[in-house]
Amino acid sequence: MRRTTLIVLSVVCLTVLGAVMMTKGDEVDPTPQTYNPYPPGILPSDLSSELARVRREVTFIENEAIAEWHALPPLKFIGQPPTIQGSGYAAVRTLGKLMNFDQNISVFKNEACASCHMPYAGFSGPIPSVNLTMIAYPGSFRIRAGKRTAQRYTYSPDFPVLNYNATQGTFFGGNFWDARSTGYLLQSADAEQAQHPPVDTQEMGAPDTACITFRLSQAVYRPLFEAVWGKGSFSISFPSNTEEICETPGGAAVFGSNATPVQLSPADRARSNAVYDHWAQSISFYESSPAVSAFSSKFDAFLAGKYNMTADEMAGYKLFRGKGNCNSCHLDGRSTAPTPPPPEGTAPGSEDTGAAADTRPLFTCFGYANLGVPKNPRDAFYYQTTPDAFGFTANPEGFAYTDFGLGAFLRSGFGSAPNPNSSWTKFASTSDGRMQTSTARDVALVPPQCKSTDAPGPYFQKEFFHNGYIKSLKQLVHFYNTRDVFPFSVESGNCPAGTTEKVNCWPAPEVPQNLDMTIGKLGLTDTEENQIVKFLETLTDGFTTPYPDINTYTGVCKTGGNASTQGNSAIISAVAIRALMREKP
Amino acid sequence: MNEIVQKLFFSAAALSLFCSNSVVAQTSPYRPKEILPPAKKAARVHITLGPELESAKSSWAIIRWTSNNPGGSDEHFGVVTYGTDPGDLKETAKSHIRLNRGHPCTIFRVRLDGLKPGTTYYYRVDSMEASGTSDGVKSPVKHFTTP
Repeated sequence: MRRTTLIVLSVVCLTVLGAVMMTKGDEVDPTPQTYNPYPPGILPSDLSSELARVRREVTFIENEAIAEWHALPPLKFIGQPPTIQGSGYAAVRTLGKLMNFDQNISVFKNEACASCHMPYAGFSGPIPSVNLTMIAYPGSFRIRAGKRTAQRYTYSPDFPVLNYNATQGTFFGGNFWDARSTGYLLQSADAEQAQHPPVDTQEMGAPDTACITFRLSQAVYRPLFEAVWGKGSFSISFPSNTEEICETPGGAAVFGSNATPVQLSPADRARSNAVYDHWAQSISFYESSPAVSAFSSKFDAFLAGKYNMTADEMAGYKLFRGKGNCNSCHLDGRSTAPTPPPPEGTAPGSEDTGAAADTRPLFTCFGYANLGVPKNPRDAFYYQTTPDAFGFTANPEGFAYTDFGLGAFLRSGFGSAPNPNSSWTKFASTSDGRMQTSTARDVALVPPQCKSTDAPGPYFQKEFFHNGYIKSLKQLVHFYNTRDVFPFSVESGNCPAGTTEKVNCWPAPEVPQNLDMTIGKLGLTDTEENQIVKFLETLTDGFTTPYPDINTYTGVCKTGGNASTQGNSAIISAVAIRALMREKP
Repeated sequence: MNEIVQKLFFSAAALSLFCSNSVVAQTSPYRPKEILPPAKKAARVHITLGPELESAKSSWAIIRWTSNNPGGSDEHFGVVTYGTDPGDLKETAKSHIRLNRGHPCTIFRVRLDGLKPGTTYYYRVDSMEASGTSDGVKSPVKHFTTP
């Protein structure tokens, strides 16, 4: 970033930061106002108003869910084991939706799960300016933020419990970029995923899982919870200081290393844990429903013989499976021929018959790879290096922090979560830098009025990969295609004169070891890259049936520029940031 | 002897023809949540193009080659043994790729790091399954010089 731009942004952002800290959406923010770890230019200028916008949208959908709850028929358990006959699916999924959009769960009652995962963004990040700049979303304690982009919910329930496959020599399944939600207890990686953000210091921020139980006991939809999971669910004697504890963010010095500051009897703790498990399972069931994982894309219609792809889409599909080699990891359910038929290779002239082997391919192998994505100096996590008002320092390592992804999780390292299987620790070094292979489905899903992820638009600014370094699908495909064609031993923001970052200059990978070499030089032309983008857009749900709540975006779409350099004006120099961080007291 | 040479020639020619990013018909079902067992291994894995230097800087290089699809574990590694003495290839580099079961051929690319500038390196290549089992590729010793 140019010096002048930094100065201008510093003035703007200091002003905005004040506004952010003074307001919590549309209300007065109860959070302490004495902590600002961010250098000028890191936070987007519209952060306050955009957080307020999302709060309004979340409230709208929560009210919709309440109406859906009231429209349910009376729930009756029938038979052995007792089953909610007829409306059980609807009841649990409605409960999951109510929870997912409930802002009261967070420590300051201002952030729901959905606040970082809105339907119109494929259940990923809903704020274009955050996607463009700080990449991780502000938590309930607004000045804290995570380290990675918000992964899409779509199809996440289909990921199996994390397992090490000895034959393939690698890990499959789990949830999150780094697999830290394994599914080992609930036997659902997705359900356990829903248990992390509520007690993540950088997200919803509760200091104890019992706080979620406590807040659920006060929820307007408590009767539905009890109807599904049992009348006695909340028969818990919460101590009188529970609310005081639950409105103090996790990580606060007052808690020390105590992960259960709400003092409960063993029996009540067990009840609370059961409620938290039911929270997770209900949300996961909602996420597996057609309201989230819809299988309603153009591609699904194509597989059903009800949609003819355009020439560019079909060309992109062939490239996806052929020259682009995308489906080696983003499995399309079709190229599964045992190879090679005897004697060697395949029979001359053989080609895809067009018949699908799997009518619901998920476009992921459930695996993990280090694609060599450069470090993104914009990542808000780098700047949270001093104790906040609660005495918590999110990232003592500052800009020196390296995101090792799966490797960090396997060694129970900083920035991840405890690994529940010690036999996996030995695989940490060969897993460093590996991040989850997300489904390609809904990667292009945007609010309908914005039409596209890519400039010139109108477009909705999304962010791609774990650290949001990539800002358009064109750039994403170009990265796969040319990572090793335009490599430079520099960090982001420091490409040599005469080159353009993300066009003909790719900064060095953040984690150089275990680099995946399936990609990097695919030999695609510019037109072929664009055709793959066109194909990716066919994976957007909502074509065969309307995608629920996709029309809830009330922000603006962007226009102008081009997809190749989209977001480049927001790039900041890693070298400048290092210098700035050294100067920081 | 001539007949064998002819067969090998036509086999290699056919493979080159059909290694051009074509895809093959699927014959086995894929279902979500299942990690497929490894594909059937090729009877013989041989190079159809390369190995050759793809690119080099003063401290690193990428070696590239194409073989018929070796099958076996999807998680695969290209392996390059290299050194400055053609008779003593002391160093080994390996890079991960994921096989595409629908492709008749596979492009391997291996990155060699920690090289010295202005130095000639000799190398040969192989590939292996995730278990470390070699694909038994026979490669000539070739060389390149870093800038």
